Amino acid sequence: MKAAIRSSALARIFLVAGFGVALSAMPASAQKAGGSITVGLELDIPGFDPLKVGVYDTAALTASSAIFDTLTYLDANGKPQPKLALSWSSSEDFKTWTFKLRPGVKFHDGTPFNAEAYKANFDRQKDPVNKCRCAFYISNINNVQAPDELTLVYNLKDPSVNFPSLVSYASQNSAVHSPTAWKTKGDDYNRNPVGTGPYILKSWTAGDRMILEKNPDYWDKDKVNFDRITLKPLPDAQSRFASLQSGEVDLVWDDEYSADNIQKAQKDSKLTVHTYAGSGAAVYAMNTKTPPFDDVRVRQALVMALDRKKMSQAITNGLARPASNPYGEGSWVKCKDDGALPEDLEKAKALIKDYGKPVEFKMLVTATPRGRTVGQVLQQLWKRAGANMEIEQVDQATIPPRAFMRQFQMTPWRIVDLADPDIQMYANFRTGSPVALANYSNPELDKLLDRARVTADQNKRIEDYCEITRLINKEAIWFWTFQNTYYAISSAKVKGLPKMYSGVIDVSRAWKE
Amino acid sequence: MTFFVARRLLYLLPVLIAVSLLTFSIASLLPGDLAYTILGDQATPENVAALRHDMGLDQPIWWRYLSWLGNVLQGDFGRSFRTGQTVLQAVAERLPVSIELMLLAQLGALGIGVPLAIICAARSGGPFDRFMTGTAFGMLSVPTFLSAILLIYFFAVELRWLPATGYVPFAEDPLANLRFMVLPALTLALAEWPTIMRVLRSDMIATLQEDYIALAKAKGLTPARILFVHALKPSSLTLVTITGINIGRLIGGAVIVETIFALPGIGRLLIGAILTRDLIILQGVVLLVGAGFVIMNFIVDMLYAVLDPRIRHGHA
Repeated sequence: MKAAIRSSALARIFLVAGFGVALSAMPASAQKAGGSITVGLELDIPGFDPLKVGVYDTAALTASSAIFDTLTYLDANGKPQPKLALSWSSSEDFKTWTFKLRPGVKFHDGTPFNAEAYKANFDRQKDPVNKCRCAFYISNINNVQAPDELTLVYNLKDPSVNFPSLVSYASQNSAVHSPTAWKTKGDDYNRNPVGTGPYILKSWTAGDRMILEKNPDYWDKDKVNFDRITLKPLPDAQSRFASLQSGEVDLVWDDEYSADNIQKAQKDSKLTVHTYAGSGAAVYAMNTKTPPFDDVRVRQALVMALDRKKMSQAITNGLARPASNPYGEGSWVKCKDDGALPEDLEKAKALIKDYGKPVEFKMLVTATPRGRTVGQVLQQLWKRAGANMEIEQVDQATIPPRAFMRQFQMTPWRIVDLADPDIQMYANFRTGSPVALANYSNPELDKLLDRARVTADQNKRIEDYCEITRLINKEAIWFWTFQNTYYAISSAKVKGLPKMYSGVIDVSRAWKE
Repeated sequence: MTFFVARRLLYLLPVLIAVSLLTFSIASLLPGDLAYTILGDQATPENVAALRHDMGLDQPIWWRYLSWLGNVLQGDFGRSFRTGQTVLQAVAERLPVSIELMLLAQLGALGIGVPLAIICAARSGGPFDRFMTGTAFGMLSVPTFLSAILLIYFFAVELRWLPATGYVPFAEDPLANLRFMVLPALTLALAEWPTIMRVLRSDMIATLQEDYIALAKAKGLTPARILFVHALKPSSLTLVTITGINIGRLIGGAVIVETIFALPGIGRLLIGAILTRDLIILQGVVLLVGAGFVIMNFIVDMLYAVLDPRIRHGHA
């Protein structure tokens, strides 16, 4: 293994000279500046202060990607490109990453953006006194240092080969806020965010609309087209779609659970359906320390009794794409053989019969229409195989703590779209990790996880991750139902929407024909 | 009259206390723990215990209730842990929208229901009466969300006369405000007018059989004068009650209608608070709405007494 690392010594240093890289994948000539866009979001935005709101949801992300900048962004090929950082390099062990920052950038309130300001953002999230729900996502980072005005150093606990991709979207952790603003505004900062991004928050009526106006001093203003972005929370899926049809809004967020609208829009020439097949999937973990899941036969039986096509048809009109591994089509990890167990009801029945005892267990589901539906469908599928599942409805916020404390037999979970599988795979399956929900330990699996994270050669990493899936599928400690897919529907005039990485609808560089 | 008002005010007190008790117990009855909700992924048993202690969640429930009530009586309804807004700020922002919606809806319902009731009563048993009574019965069973979606489909998507969603404050642009309000108010009115019509119709039919109406007819008064001047007021007692009670139903309907039409009112605030388990906002809003409903009923009682003197003297 050592030799493998040494042989790729050159490949280890990623240095991007980025002045010339265009931020938009579209040709500049097609763009049209001016005008405005109105976006219909599915949720009210609670605010932007990570200490208050914890984790940004899809609605907050659309706003934050216009108000804030990040160090990098992902281009159409999924490769990190310079944004607030111009270039980056890593240490040999991938535990230290150094970013060179863009000079001359200012926050909307005039505060200069520099390494010190960035570090202040990080320290605020990390400080245990602040009890930020956002801290979990940066637990792999020891600290951030600012050796000079334009140099930023990340010191990681564990190696991360693909780190610059992980700070590429304006999430609760990666959006850069003005330290002056949060210090002077206190409790009010949450609803008065200040970033360095292409748009400035002009007004915000709670529950109604947020108006963003073009930042005249933006460092990349030639790529920014709309003069104004209006964001409106339209919680009802039917009326949100009706607003798009009637022309009141130009673009709406959507998802598979309102499949009718998506399928209607696909047939409408005045509308464009934007879709992104993400990496990641909807997944479920079985607690292998509790019966009946301490027996591999039961676990395998439940996986084999799944009929994902039927599930997809019942829940999403067939839009949801079945998953047999945790990576998803949008991931660079593609497996020829992921070791998926066959969907085979007869075999499932035989395994349960072989187990000999009644298979009865409780499964956590979210107390939402969606959670209940999925729970009921699974219940029926497993009943056919002779397993009795009882649905336990809890609110969304209860699932993570219950999961972390292992107070469950089966729990839903999600592998979100990150640009690199390492963080989540390592956390979910490495022995002793707080998120290794299955309570499962296997030295072989640990070895593969350890190796994949320090290998610079992507092909070798792919092999490792596929081997990891084969092992998990065989042991059936977790199973995957559907790949993450994201949807937005817009008027056909809206152009220049980038790929919806992590489900983020970023309209900050779009335009209308 | 003073004695009557004072006695009614005294009745109000236990009801308001009951409302506050019920509201407070929401937090204890709902699944999920506030400390978990706030801490999310940071919830380790130690963190949860520490936060529960900080928030007084480890105290006995009666102690928590009393200290909460004490704060409420001083005007402190608490602060959302998600947005940092106080309950009063949040309610003050949203209340005008809901009040406007309810007033317009009530006006709409009365505007449809009262004339129809008068015509039906005047021609009771005739084909128009039978048709309208049937229609009213049918309309009662149409759920609000369905009429909302149908109205959106016809007026916003097909005809493009009115916007499907959104809101503009009245102060900013009165005309635009009304354009946004028409469909939501109509949706609520469609659910309310049948009750109004049916109640007023049967009361008026009863009134029209009274002796003084026969006298009025004998004196040669025009039918319109008899209907509007002599029969309407004595027939509207039940209507006032119904209108008062309707406020409660309208609050329920507003939750759905505000969500569908994306109006930034109290109903939306409530739904948002439920979805995000923002219990502080939830408690505060439910308490304020509950108290508002109780006070509304009190006002209706007072109106009753004005309409019919027998009531305030305790003879009815």
